[in-house]
Amino acid sequence: MATRIRALAGALARSGFARLRVRDGETEIELRRAARSAAPSSYVVAPAEEPAERAAERRADVVASDVVGIVRLLRPPVAEGQDLDGDRDLAFVETLGIRNPVRSRGSGRVCSVFVSDGQPVEYGQPLFAIER
Amino acid sequence: MFKKVLIANRGEIALRINRACHELGITTVAIFSEADRQSLHVRHADEAFCVGPGPVIRSYLNIPNIISAALISGCDAIHPGYGFLAENARFAEIAADHGLTFIGPKPSVINAMGDKATAKRLMEQAGVPITPGSGIVADVDEARRVCEQIGYPVLLKATAGGGGKGMRAVSSVEELPTAYATAQAEAEASFKDGRMYVEKLIVNPRHIEVQVLADEHGGVVHLGERDCSVQKPSHQKLIEEAPAPELDAAIRDRLHEIATTATRAVGYTNAGTLEFLVAGDAVYFMEMNTRIQVEHPVSELIYGVDLVKEQIRIAAGEPLGFSQDDLHPHGHAIEVRVNAEDPHNNFAPAAGTLTVVVFPGGPGIRVDTHVYGGAVVPPFYDSMLAKIIAVGRTRESAILRMERALGETRIEGVKTTVEFCAELLRDEEFRRGGIGVGWLPAYLARKTAAVS
Repeated sequence: MATRIRALAGALARSGFARLRVRDGETEIELRRAARSAAPSSYVVAPAEEPAERAAERRADVVASDVVGIVRLLRPPVAEGQDLDGDRDLAFVETLGIRNPVRSRGSGRVCSVFVSDGQPVEYGQPLFAIER
Repeated sequence: MFKKVLIANRGEIALRINRACHELGITTVAIFSEADRQSLHVRHADEAFCVGPGPVIRSYLNIPNIISAALISGCDAIHPGYGFLAENARFAEIAADHGLTFIGPKPSVINAMGDKATAKRLMEQAGVPITPGSGIVADVDEARRVCEQIGYPVLLKATAGGGGKGMRAVSSVEELPTAYATAQAEAEASFKDGRMYVEKLIVNPRHIEVQVLADEHGGVVHLGERDCSVQKPSHQKLIEEAPAPELDAAIRDRLHEIATTATRAVGYTNAGTLEFLVAGDAVYFMEMNTRIQVEHPVSELIYGVDLVKEQIRIAAGEPLGFSQDDLHPHGHAIEVRVNAEDPHNNFAPAAGTLTVVVFPGGPGIRVDTHVYGGAVVPPFYDSMLAKIIAVGRTRESAILRMERALGETRIEGVKTTVEFCAELLRDEEFRRGGIGVGWLPAYLARKTAAVS
Protein backbone atom coordinates (compact mmCIF):
# COMPACT_ATOMS: atom_id res chain seq x y z
CA MET A 1 0.00 0.00 0.00
CA ALA A 2 2.72 2.46 0.97
CA THR A 3 4.57 1.76 -2.27
CA ARG A 4 1.44 2.48 -4.30
CA ILE A 5 0.71 5.69 -2.43
CA ARG A 6 4.30 6.76 -2.91
CA ALA A 7 4.08 6.15 -6.66
CA LEU A 8 0.74 7.95 -6.89
CA ALA A 9 1.92 10.91 -4.80
CA GLY A 10 4.90 11.23 -7.11
CA ALA A 11 2.67 11.04 -10.18
CA LEU A 12 0.35 13.71 -8.76
CA ALA A 13 3.26 15.97 -7.82
CA ARG A 14 4.59 15.76 -11.39
CA SER A 15 1.18 16.20 -13.00
CA GLY A 16 -0.83 19.36 -13.35
CA PHE A 17 -3.86 17.73 -11.73
CA ALA A 18 -5.33 18.84 -8.43
CA ARG A 19 -6.81 15.46 -7.52
CA LEU A 20 -6.13 11.83 -8.28
CA ARG A 21 -8.49 8.95 -7.42
CA VAL A 22 -7.70 5.30 -8.02
CA ARG A 23 -10.12 2.46 -7.33
CA ASP A 24 -8.84 -1.08 -7.36
CA GLY A 25 -11.10 -3.83 -6.01
CA GLU A 26 -11.80 -3.06 -2.38
CA THR A 27 -9.42 -0.16 -2.09
CA GLU A 28 -9.91 3.40 -3.17
CA ILE A 29 -7.11 5.92 -2.89
CA GLU A 30 -7.68 9.60 -3.35
CA LEU A 31 -4.87 12.16 -3.33
CA ARG A 32 -5.54 15.87 -3.28
CA ARG A 33 -3.19 18.69 -3.98
CA ALA A 34 -3.47 21.52 -1.46
CA ALA A 35 -4.51 24.82 -3.00
CA ARG A 36 -1.11 26.50 -2.60
CA SER A 37 1.17 23.48 -2.72
CA ALA A 38 2.55 21.35 -5.52
CA ALA A 39 2.49 18.25 -3.38
CA PRO A 40 -0.62 16.52 -2.18
CA SER A 41 -0.88 17.81 1.38
CA SER A 42 -3.42 15.29 2.49
CA TYR A 43 -5.04 12.16 1.28
CA VAL A 44 -7.59 9.69 2.46
CA VAL A 45 -6.93 6.00 2.54
CA ALA A 46 -10.02 3.87 2.94
CA PRO A 47 -11.54 0.66 1.65
CA ALA A 48 -14.23 1.51 -0.91
CA GLU A 49 -17.09 0.39 1.31
CA GLU A 50 -15.91 2.29 4.39
CA PRO A 51 -18.29 5.02 5.57
CA ALA A 52 -17.19 8.56 4.84
CA GLU A 53 -16.95 9.55 8.53
CA ARG A 54 -14.53 6.77 9.26
CA ALA A 55 -12.47 7.65 6.19
CA ALA A 56 -12.21 11.20 7.45
CA GLU A 57 -11.00 9.91 10.79
CA ARG A 58 -8.14 8.20 9.03
CA ARG A 59 -6.93 11.36 7.33
CA ALA A 60 -3.22 11.52 6.63
CA ASP A 61 -1.03 14.60 6.24
CA VAL A 62 1.84 14.77 3.79
CA VAL A 63 4.95 16.42 5.12
CA ALA A 64 6.72 18.02 2.17
CA SER A 65 10.17 19.56 1.80
CA ASP A 66 10.21 23.35 1.92
CA VAL A 67 13.77 23.54 0.59
CA VAL A 68 15.83 22.07 -2.25
CA GLY A 69 18.43 19.73 -0.82
CA ILE A 70 19.55 16.26 0.18
CA VAL A 71 17.51 14.14 2.57
CA ARG A 72 19.31 13.04 5.74
CA LEU A 73 17.25 10.46 7.62
CA LEU A 74 17.64 10.13 11.38
CA ARG A 75 19.59 7.28 12.92
CA PRO A 76 17.70 5.06 13.32
CA PRO A 77 15.40 6.40 10.58
CA VAL A 78 11.71 7.03 11.13
CA ALA A 79 9.92 3.92 9.84
CA GLU A 80 6.52 3.24 8.38
CA GLY A 81 4.11 2.21 11.11
CA GLN A 82 5.99 4.16 13.78
CA ASP A 83 3.92 6.11 16.29
CA LEU A 84 4.92 9.73 16.86
CA ASP A 85 4.35 11.43 20.14
CA GLY A 86 3.93 15.18 19.61
CA ASP A 87 5.89 17.44 17.26
CA ARG A 88 9.22 15.81 16.57
CA ASP A 89 12.02 15.62 14.00
CA LEU A 90 11.42 13.21 11.15
CA ALA A 91 14.56 13.92 9.11
CA PHE A 92 16.71 16.78 7.85
CA VAL A 93 17.04 18.26 4.40
CA GLU A 94 20.54 19.56 3.90
CA THR A 95 20.87 22.73 1.81
CA LEU A 96 24.32 24.26 1.30
CA GLY A 97 25.60 22.57 4.47
CA ILE A 98 22.65 23.67 6.60
CA ARG A 99 20.50 20.94 8.11
CA ASN A 100 16.86 22.04 7.88
CA PRO A 101 14.73 19.95 10.26
CA VAL A 102 11.59 18.29 8.95
CA ARG A 103 9.03 18.22 11.78
CA SER A 104 5.98 16.01 12.22
CA ARG A 105 3.86 18.99 13.36
CA GLY A 106 1.96 16.85 15.85
CA SER A 107 1.32 13.27 16.87
CA GLY A 108 0.32 10.46 14.56
CA ARG A 109 1.46 7.31 12.89
CA VAL A 110 3.91 7.34 9.98
CA CYS A 111 2.06 5.61 7.15
CA SER A 112 4.54 6.35 4.36
CA VAL A 113 8.18 7.30 3.96
CA PHE A 114 8.57 8.58 0.39
CA VAL A 115 12.31 9.23 0.42
CA SER A 116 15.56 7.47 1.18
CA ASP A 117 18.71 8.76 2.86
CA GLY A 118 20.85 10.89 0.54
CA GLN A 119 18.05 11.47 -1.96
CA PRO A 120 17.86 14.92 -3.61
CA VAL A 121 14.48 16.61 -3.17
CA GLU A 122 12.88 19.73 -4.59
CA TYR A 123 10.59 22.27 -2.98
CA GLY A 124 7.20 20.75 -2.21
CA GLN A 125 8.31 17.15 -2.66
CA PRO A 126 6.46 14.70 -0.36
CA LEU A 127 8.75 13.24 2.33
CA PHE A 128 6.41 11.50 4.81
CA ALA A 129 2.71 10.79 5.25
CA ILE A 130 1.38 10.83 8.80
CA GLU A 131 -1.95 9.41 9.81
CA ARG A 132 -3.48 11.69 12.44
CA MET B 1 33.23 24.26 -22.14
CA PHE B 2 30.58 23.64 -19.49
CA LYS B 3 28.81 20.28 -19.36
CA LYS B 4 25.73 21.32 -17.44
CA VAL B 5 24.21 24.76 -16.84
CA LEU B 6 21.46 25.78 -14.43
CA ILE B 7 19.17 28.46 -15.85
CA ALA B 8 18.14 30.67 -12.94
CA ASN B 9 15.17 32.28 -14.64
CA ARG B 10 11.75 31.72 -16.16
CA GLY B 11 9.78 32.80 -19.22
CA GLU B 12 11.14 33.47 -22.68
CA ILE B 13 14.69 34.19 -21.53
CA ALA B 14 14.93 30.80 -19.81
CA LEU B 15 13.97 29.20 -23.14
CA ARG B 16 16.40 31.43 -25.01
CA ILE B 17 19.26 30.30 -22.75
CA ASN B 18 18.12 26.69 -22.96
CA ARG B 19 18.32 26.87 -26.76
CA ALA B 20 21.80 28.36 -26.70
CA CYS B 21 22.98 25.65 -24.28
CA HIS B 22 21.53 22.83 -26.34
CA GLU B 23 23.14 24.18 -29.51
CA LEU B 24 26.47 24.17 -27.64
CA GLY B 25 25.88 20.57 -26.49
CA ILE B 26 25.33 21.61 -22.86
CA THR B 27 22.82 19.80 -20.62
CA THR B 28 20.35 22.16 -18.94
CA VAL B 29 18.66 22.34 -15.55
CA ALA B 30 15.60 24.56 -15.18
CA ILE B 31 14.22 25.99 -11.96
CA PHE B 32 10.57 26.83 -11.53
CA SER B 33 8.03 28.03 -9.00
CA GLU B 34 4.86 26.11 -8.27
CA ALA B 35 3.01 28.64 -10.45
CA ASP B 36 5.25 27.79 -13.44
CA ARG B 37 5.06 24.00 -13.29
CA GLN B 38 3.43 23.90 -16.74
CA SER B 39 5.70 26.52 -18.29
CA LEU B 40 7.57 25.69 -21.49
CA HIS B 41 10.97 26.39 -19.98
CA VAL B 42 10.44 23.47 -17.61
CA ARG B 43 9.56 21.12 -20.46
CA HIS B 44 12.44 22.14 -22.71
CA ALA B 45 15.14 21.71 -20.07
CA ASP B 46 16.80 18.35 -19.50
CA GLU B 47 16.09 18.49 -15.76
CA ALA B 48 13.99 20.78 -13.58
CA PHE B 49 13.72 21.65 -9.91
CA CYS B 50 10.84 23.32 -8.14
CA VAL B 51 12.49 25.96 -5.92
CA GLY B 52 9.52 27.54 -4.19
CA PRO B 53 5.98 28.87 -4.35
CA GLY B 54 4.77 31.55 -6.78
CA PRO B 55 6.00 34.76 -5.12
CA VAL B 56 9.48 35.55 -6.50
CA ILE B 57 11.05 36.21 -3.13
CA ARG B 58 10.49 32.56 -2.21
CA SER B 59 11.31 31.02 -5.60
CA TYR B 60 13.25 32.86 -8.33
CA LEU B 61 15.08 34.94 -5.70
CA ASN B 62 15.60 32.01 -3.32
CA ILE B 63 19.39 31.83 -3.48
CA PRO B 64 19.91 28.78 -1.19
CA ASN B 65 17.39 26.66 -3.09
CA ILE B 66 18.74 27.71 -6.49
CA ILE B 67 22.39 27.07 -5.60
CA SER B 68 21.37 23.80 -3.95
CA ALA B 69 19.57 22.70 -7.15
CA ALA B 70 22.71 23.49 -9.17
CA LEU B 71 24.92 21.48 -6.82
CA ILE B 72 22.58 18.50 -6.50
CA SER B 73 22.23 18.23 -10.27
CA GLY B 74 25.97 18.54 -10.84
CA CYS B 75 26.00 21.82 -12.78
CA ASP B 76 29.24 23.65 -13.44
CA ALA B 77 27.70 27.03 -14.26
CA ILE B 78 24.63 29.22 -13.73
CA HIS B 79 23.09 31.55 -16.31
CA PRO B 80 20.99 34.19 -14.55
CA GLY B 81 19.18 35.64 -17.61
CA TYR B 82 17.80 39.15 -16.93
CA GLY B 83 15.93 40.45 -13.88
CA PHE B 84 15.73 38.30 -10.71
CA LEU B 85 19.35 37.53 -9.67
CA ALA B 86 21.06 38.64 -12.89
CA GLU B 87 22.67 41.70 -11.34
CA ASN B 88 23.02 40.41 -7.80
CA ALA B 89 26.75 40.35 -7.00
CA ARG B 90 26.13 38.42 -3.80
CA PHE B 91 24.50 35.64 -5.80
CA ALA B 92 27.47 35.57 -8.18
CA GLU B 93 29.82 35.34 -5.18
CA ILE B 94 27.84 32.55 -3.52
CA ALA B 95 27.82 30.64 -6.80
CA ALA B 96 31.62 31.02 -7.06
CA ASP B 97 32.04 29.93 -3.42
CA HIS B 98 30.29 26.69 -4.36
CA GLY B 99 32.45 26.11 -7.42
CA LEU B 100 29.82 27.29 -9.89
CA THR B 101 30.71 29.70 -12.70
CA PHE B 102 28.36 32.67 -12.85
CA ILE B 103 27.74 33.48 -16.52
CA GLY B 104 28.26 37.22 -16.35
CA PRO B 105 30.86 39.72 -15.24
CA LYS B 106 32.88 39.51 -12.03
CA PRO B 107 30.94 40.24 -8.80
CA SER B 108 33.06 43.36 -8.13
CA VAL B 109 32.09 44.78 -11.53
CA ILE B 110 28.40 43.87 -11.06
CA ASN B 111 28.53 45.69 -7.73
CA ALA B 112 30.22 48.75 -9.16
CA MET B 113 27.89 49.01 -12.16
CA GLY B 114 24.76 47.86 -10.30
CA ASP B 115 25.26 50.66 -7.83
CA LYS B 116 24.25 53.37 -10.28
CA ALA B 117 25.86 56.18 -8.29
CA THR B 118 29.22 54.35 -8.17
CA ALA B 119 28.90 53.51 -11.86
CA LYS B 120 28.52 57.16 -12.77
CA ARG B 121 31.56 58.11 -10.71
CA LEU B 122 33.70 55.39 -12.36
CA MET B 123 32.50 56.35 -15.83
CA GLU B 124 33.23 60.01 -15.17
CA GLN B 125 36.79 59.00 -14.20
CA ALA B 126 37.05 57.08 -17.49
CA GLY B 127 36.16 60.25 -19.36
CA VAL B 128 32.57 59.27 -20.15
CA PRO B 129 30.07 62.18 -20.22
CA ILE B 130 27.43 61.90 -17.49
CA THR B 131 24.30 63.81 -16.48
CA PRO B 132 24.67 66.30 -13.60
CA GLY B 133 23.52 64.73 -10.36
CA SER B 134 24.28 63.48 -6.88
CA GLY B 135 25.77 60.49 -5.14
CA ILE B 136 23.55 58.48 -2.79
CA VAL B 137 21.34 60.85 -0.79
CA ALA B 138 20.73 60.04 2.88
CA ASP B 139 17.10 61.14 2.96
CA VAL B 140 14.47 63.32 1.34
CA ASP B 141 15.97 66.44 2.91
CA GLU B 142 19.32 65.87 1.27
CA ALA B 143 17.52 65.06 -1.99
CA ARG B 144 15.74 68.43 -1.71
CA ARG B 145 19.06 70.29 -1.31
CA VAL B 146 20.57 68.50 -4.33
CA CYS B 147 17.49 69.25 -6.45
CA GLU B 148 17.76 72.94 -5.64
CA GLN B 149 21.40 72.90 -6.76
CA ILE B 150 20.91 71.15 -10.11
CA GLY B 151 17.44 72.59 -10.74
CA TYR B 152 14.15 70.92 -11.58
CA PRO B 153 13.06 68.82 -13.40
CA VAL B 154 15.02 65.94 -11.85
CA LEU B 155 14.91 62.17 -11.88
CA LEU B 156 14.89 60.27 -8.60
CA LYS B 157 16.56 56.93 -9.13
CA ALA B 158 17.13 53.85 -7.01
CA THR B 159 20.79 52.94 -7.13
CA ALA B 160 19.83 49.27 -7.43
CA GLY B 161 17.09 50.07 -9.94
CA GLY B 162 16.28 48.88 -13.42
CA GLY B 163 13.36 48.42 -15.78
CA GLY B 164 11.85 51.72 -14.67
CA LYS B 165 11.32 50.47 -11.12
CA GLY B 166 12.33 52.79 -8.29
CA MET B 167 12.48 55.79 -10.63
CA ARG B 168 10.36 58.97 -10.62
CA ALA B 169 10.46 62.23 -12.52
CA VAL B 170 9.95 65.23 -10.28
CA SER B 171 9.16 68.65 -11.73
CA SER B 172 8.85 70.68 -8.53
CA VAL B 173 9.76 70.65 -4.85
CA GLU B 174 6.09 70.02 -3.93
CA GLU B 175 6.14 66.65 -5.70
CA LEU B 176 9.40 65.55 -4.11
CA PRO B 177 8.30 63.99 -0.76
CA THR B 178 5.66 61.70 -2.31
CA ALA B 179 7.83 60.77 -5.30
CA TYR B 180 10.77 60.01 -3.01
CA ALA B 181 8.68 57.82 -0.71
CA THR B 182 7.02 55.82 -3.51
CA ALA B 183 10.21 55.34 -5.54
CA GLN B 184 12.09 54.23 -2.45
CA ALA B 185 9.32 51.82 -1.39
CA GLU B 186 9.29 50.37 -4.91
CA ALA B 187 13.08 49.90 -4.81
CA GLU B 188 12.88 48.27 -1.37
CA ALA B 189 10.21 45.88 -2.62
CA SER B 190 11.88 45.07 -5.94
CA PHE B 191 15.59 45.10 -5.11
CA LYS B 192 15.75 45.01 -1.29
CA ASP B 193 17.77 48.22 -1.56
CA GLY B 194 16.13 51.60 -1.07
CA ARG B 195 19.17 53.84 -1.58
CA MET B 196 18.36 56.74 -3.89
CA TYR B 197 20.21 59.32 -5.97
CA VAL B 198 19.18 62.32 -7.99
CA GLU B 199 20.07 63.42 -11.49
CA LYS B 200 19.12 66.21 -13.84
CA LEU B 201 16.19 65.24 -16.06
CA ILE B 202 17.14 65.72 -19.70
CA VAL B 203 13.87 66.62 -21.40
CA ASN B 204 12.75 64.22 -24.12
CA PRO B 205 16.14 62.64 -24.94
CA ARG B 206 16.52 59.55 -27.08
CA HIS B 207 17.39 56.35 -25.22
CA ILE B 208 20.19 54.76 -27.20
CA GLU B 209 22.24 51.89 -25.82
CA VAL B 210 25.34 50.10 -27.04
CA GLN B 211 25.82 46.34 -26.82
CA VAL B 212 29.32 45.18 -25.87
CA LEU B 213 31.04 41.83 -25.54
CA ALA B 214 34.29 41.44 -23.63
CA ASP B 215 36.25 38.24 -23.12
CA GLU B 216 38.63 37.42 -20.26
CA HIS B 217 41.70 37.96 -22.48
CA GLY B 218 41.28 41.67 -23.16
CA GLY B 219 39.10 41.31 -26.26
CA VAL B 220 36.37 43.97 -26.41
CA VAL B 221 33.91 44.59 -29.25
CA HIS B 222 30.66 46.48 -29.62
CA LEU B 223 27.66 45.24 -31.57
CA GLY B 224 26.31 48.62 -32.43
CA GLU B 225 23.49 50.52 -30.83
CA ARG B 226 19.81 49.95 -30.14
CA ASP B 227 17.21 52.69 -30.02
CA CYS B 228 14.81 52.04 -27.12
CA SER B 229 13.05 55.41 -27.06
CA VAL B 230 9.52 53.99 -27.25
CA GLN B 231 8.93 53.79 -23.52
CA LYS B 232 5.78 53.65 -21.47
CA PRO B 233 5.20 56.42 -18.90
CA SER B 234 6.72 53.94 -16.40
CA HIS B 235 9.95 54.08 -18.50
CA GLN B 236 9.57 50.44 -19.51
CA LYS B 237 10.59 49.78 -23.08
CA LEU B 238 7.93 48.70 -25.54
CA ILE B 239 9.48 48.83 -29.03
CA GLU B 240 13.21 48.63 -29.75
CA GLU B 241 15.20 48.77 -32.95
CA ALA B 242 18.70 48.53 -34.33
CA PRO B 243 20.40 50.50 -35.70
CA ALA B 244 19.09 53.77 -34.24
CA PRO B 245 17.28 55.61 -37.08
CA GLU B 246 18.08 59.19 -38.05
CA LEU B 247 21.22 59.29 -35.94
CA ASP B 248 24.13 61.43 -37.01
CA ALA B 249 27.06 59.20 -38.05
CA ALA B 250 29.48 61.14 -35.83
CA ILE B 251 27.29 60.62 -32.75
CA ARG B 252 26.89 56.94 -33.59
CA ASP B 253 30.67 56.49 -33.82
CA ARG B 254 31.14 58.45 -30.62
CA LEU B 255 28.69 56.22 -28.73
CA HIS B 256 30.48 53.07 -29.95
CA GLU B 257 33.84 54.54 -29.03
CA ILE B 258 32.73 55.61 -25.53
CA ALA B 259 31.14 52.19 -24.93
CA THR B 260 34.24 50.16 -25.76
CA THR B 261 36.55 52.57 -23.90
CA ALA B 262 34.37 52.43 -20.79
CA THR B 263 34.08 48.63 -21.00
CA ARG B 264 37.88 48.37 -20.96
CA ALA B 265 38.23 51.00 -18.24
CA VAL B 266 36.03 49.15 -15.74
CA GLY B 267 37.56 45.74 -16.51
CA TYR B 268 34.25 44.45 -17.79
CA THR B 269 33.83 40.89 -19.04
CA ASN B 270 30.92 39.07 -20.72
CA ALA B 271 27.92 40.75 -22.42
CA GLY B 272 26.88 44.18 -21.26
CA THR B 273 24.96 47.24 -22.35
CA LEU B 274 25.77 50.89 -21.86
CA GLU B 275 22.68 53.07 -21.87
CA PHE B 276 22.95 56.65 -23.07
CA LEU B 277 20.66 59.62 -23.30
CA VAL B 278 21.11 61.48 -26.56
CA ALA B 279 19.80 65.04 -26.83
CA GLY B 280 20.86 66.87 -29.97
CA ASP B 281 24.64 66.56 -30.12
CA ALA B 282 24.93 65.86 -26.40
CA VAL B 283 25.50 62.33 -25.17
CA TYR B 284 25.15 61.32 -21.49
CA PHE B 285 26.01 57.97 -19.95
CA MET B 286 23.05 56.71 -17.95
CA GLU B 287 23.93 53.24 -16.71
CA MET B 288 25.57 49.96 -17.61
CA ASN B 289 23.49 46.81 -17.50
CA THR B 290 25.65 43.84 -16.58
CA ARG B 291 23.37 41.21 -18.10
CA ILE B 292 21.79 40.05 -21.32
CA GLN B 293 18.92 42.39 -22.13
CA VAL B 294 15.37 41.74 -23.22
CA GLU B 295 15.96 43.51 -26.54
CA HIS B 296 19.20 41.69 -27.42
CA PRO B 297 17.66 39.93 -30.47
CA VAL B 298 17.59 43.11 -32.59
CA SER B 299 21.39 43.30 -32.34
CA GLU B 300 21.73 39.56 -32.97
CA LEU B 301 19.68 39.77 -36.14
CA ILE B 302 21.66 42.56 -37.77
CA TYR B 303 25.11 41.36 -36.64
CA GLY B 304 24.54 37.61 -37.03
CA VAL B 305 26.01 36.94 -33.58
CA ASP B 306 24.34 34.74 -30.94
CA LEU B 307 24.86 36.86 -27.83
CA VAL B 308 23.77 34.19 -25.34
CA LYS B 309 26.17 31.63 -26.81
CA GLU B 310 28.92 34.25 -26.67
CA GLN B 311 28.10 34.85 -22.99
CA ILE B 312 28.53 31.15 -22.28
CA ARG B 313 31.76 30.86 -24.30
CA ILE B 314 33.25 33.91 -22.59
CA ALA B 315 32.33 32.59 -19.12
CA ALA B 316 33.99 29.29 -20.05
CA GLY B 317 37.20 31.25 -20.67
CA GLU B 318 37.18 31.19 -24.47
CA PRO B 319 38.48 34.22 -26.36
CA LEU B 320 36.08 36.05 -28.70
CA GLY B 321 36.12 34.36 -32.07
CA PHE B 322 36.02 37.69 -33.93
CA SER B 323 37.34 41.24 -33.78
CA GLN B 324 35.61 44.56 -34.40
CA ASP B 325 36.69 44.45 -38.05
CA ASP B 326 34.76 41.20 -38.51
CA LEU B 327 31.51 42.75 -37.33
CA HIS B 328 29.28 44.51 -39.85
CA PRO B 329 25.58 45.19 -39.36
CA HIS B 330 23.20 44.20 -42.14
CA GLY B 331 19.72 45.67 -42.47
CA HIS B 332 17.38 46.82 -39.75
CA ALA B 333 15.64 44.94 -36.94
CA ILE B 334 12.70 45.94 -34.78
CA GLU B 335 11.23 44.29 -31.70
CA VAL B 336 7.74 44.58 -30.24
CA ARG B 337 7.07 43.43 -26.70
CA VAL B 338 3.84 41.51 -26.39
CA ASN B 339 2.77 42.11 -22.81
CA ALA B 340 -0.29 40.85 -20.95
CA GLU B 341 -1.45 44.34 -20.10
CA ASP B 342 -4.09 46.84 -21.06
CA PRO B 343 -2.59 49.75 -23.04
CA HIS B 344 -5.84 51.67 -22.61
CA ASN B 345 -5.73 51.43 -18.83
CA ASN B 346 -2.22 52.58 -17.87
CA PHE B 347 -0.79 49.25 -19.03
CA ALA B 348 -2.38 47.48 -16.07
CA PRO B 349 -1.00 43.93 -16.02
CA ALA B 350 -3.43 41.09 -16.60
CA ALA B 351 -3.30 37.51 -15.41
CA GLY B 352 -5.38 34.58 -16.59
CA THR B 353 -5.54 31.73 -19.06
CA LEU B 354 -4.55 32.28 -22.68
CA THR B 355 -7.38 30.68 -24.62
CA VAL B 356 -6.00 31.32 -28.10
CA VAL B 357 -2.34 31.83 -29.00
CA VAL B 358 -1.24 32.20 -32.61
CA PHE B 359 2.18 33.67 -33.32
CA PRO B 360 3.39 34.97 -36.68
CA GLY B 361 6.00 33.39 -38.91
CA GLY B 362 7.39 33.69 -42.38
CA PRO B 363 10.46 35.48 -43.71
CA GLY B 364 12.34 37.76 -41.37
CA ILE B 365 10.24 37.05 -38.28
CA ARG B 366 11.54 35.68 -34.97
CA VAL B 367 9.32 35.01 -31.97
CA ASP B 368 10.82 34.46 -28.51
CA THR B 369 8.10 33.27 -26.15
CA HIS B 370 7.26 30.82 -23.40
CA VAL B 371 3.47 30.82 -23.80
CA TYR B 372 1.10 28.61 -25.75
CA GLY B 373 -2.67 28.09 -26.11
CA GLY B 374 -4.03 27.10 -22.71
CA ALA B 375 -1.05 28.50 -20.80
CA VAL B 376 -1.80 30.29 -17.56
CA VAL B 377 -0.29 33.74 -16.93
CA PRO B 378 0.41 33.82 -13.19
CA PRO B 379 -0.02 37.11 -11.33
CA PHE B 380 3.45 37.00 -9.74
CA TYR B 381 5.73 37.89 -12.63
CA ASP B 382 6.62 40.29 -15.40
CA SER B 383 3.76 40.67 -17.86
CA MET B 384 5.81 39.98 -21.00
CA LEU B 385 4.38 37.09 -23.01
CA ALA B 386 6.54 37.27 -26.11
CA LYS B 387 8.92 39.31 -28.20
CA ILE B 388 8.23 39.55 -31.89
CA ILE B 389 11.26 40.60 -33.90
CA ALA B 390 11.23 41.57 -37.58
CA VAL B 391 14.31 42.08 -39.71
CA GLY B 392 14.48 43.67 -43.16
CA ARG B 393 17.01 45.25 -45.49
CA THR B 394 15.77 48.71 -44.54
CA ARG B 395 13.89 50.22 -41.60
CA GLU B 396 10.85 50.64 -43.82
CA SER B 397 10.83 46.96 -44.82
CA ALA B 398 11.32 45.85 -41.20
CA ILE B 399 8.37 47.97 -40.09
CA LEU B 400 6.14 46.68 -42.89
CA ARG B 401 7.15 43.15 -42.01
CA MET B 402 6.34 43.79 -38.34
CA GLU B 403 2.92 45.18 -39.27
CA ARG B 404 2.25 42.05 -41.26
CA ALA B 405 3.45 39.87 -38.34
CA LEU B 406 1.33 41.68 -35.75
CA GLY B 407 -1.66 41.20 -38.06
CA GLU B 408 -1.06 37.45 -37.94
CA THR B 409 -0.79 37.41 -34.16
CA ARG B 410 -3.83 36.36 -32.12
CA ILE B 411 -3.79 36.16 -28.35
CA GLU B 412 -7.05 35.79 -26.48
CA GLY B 413 -7.82 35.42 -22.79
CA VAL B 414 -5.93 38.49 -21.59
CA LYS B 415 -5.51 42.00 -22.98
CA THR B 416 -2.21 42.51 -24.80
CA THR B 417 -0.11 45.24 -26.38
CA VAL B 418 -0.30 43.70 -29.90
CA GLU B 419 -2.85 46.01 -31.53
CA PHE B 420 -1.59 49.06 -29.67
CA CYS B 421 1.94 48.47 -30.97
CA ALA B 422 0.59 48.03 -34.50
CA GLU B 423 -1.08 51.42 -34.09
CA LEU B 424 2.20 52.99 -32.92
CA LEU B 425 4.03 51.60 -35.97
CA ARG B 426 1.57 53.46 -38.23
CA ASP B 427 2.23 56.79 -36.53
CA GLU B 428 3.85 59.37 -38.80
CA GLU B 429 6.35 60.62 -36.22
CA PHE B 430 7.45 57.09 -35.42
CA ARG B 431 7.81 56.37 -39.14
CA ARG B 432 10.05 59.39 -39.57
CA GLY B 433 12.30 58.06 -36.81
CA GLY B 434 14.40 59.78 -34.18
CA ILE B 435 11.65 60.24 -31.57
CA GLY B 436 12.51 60.83 -27.90
CA VAL B 437 11.41 59.01 -24.75
CA GLY B 438 8.66 61.59 -24.26
CA TRP B 439 6.97 60.56 -27.51
CA LEU B 440 4.85 57.67 -26.21
CA PRO B 441 3.67 59.43 -23.01
CA ALA B 442 2.68 62.44 -25.16
CA TYR B 443 0.93 60.14 -27.65
CA LEU B 444 -1.06 58.58 -24.79
CA ALA B 445 -1.92 61.98 -23.35
CA ARG B 446 -3.23 63.13 -26.77
CA LYS B 447 -5.38 60.01 -27.03
CA THR B 448 -6.82 60.50 -23.56
CA ALA B 449 -7.57 64.16 -24.37
CA ALA B 450 -9.24 63.17 -27.66
CA VAL B 451 -11.50 60.67 -25.84
CA SER B 452 -12.64 63.18 -23.20
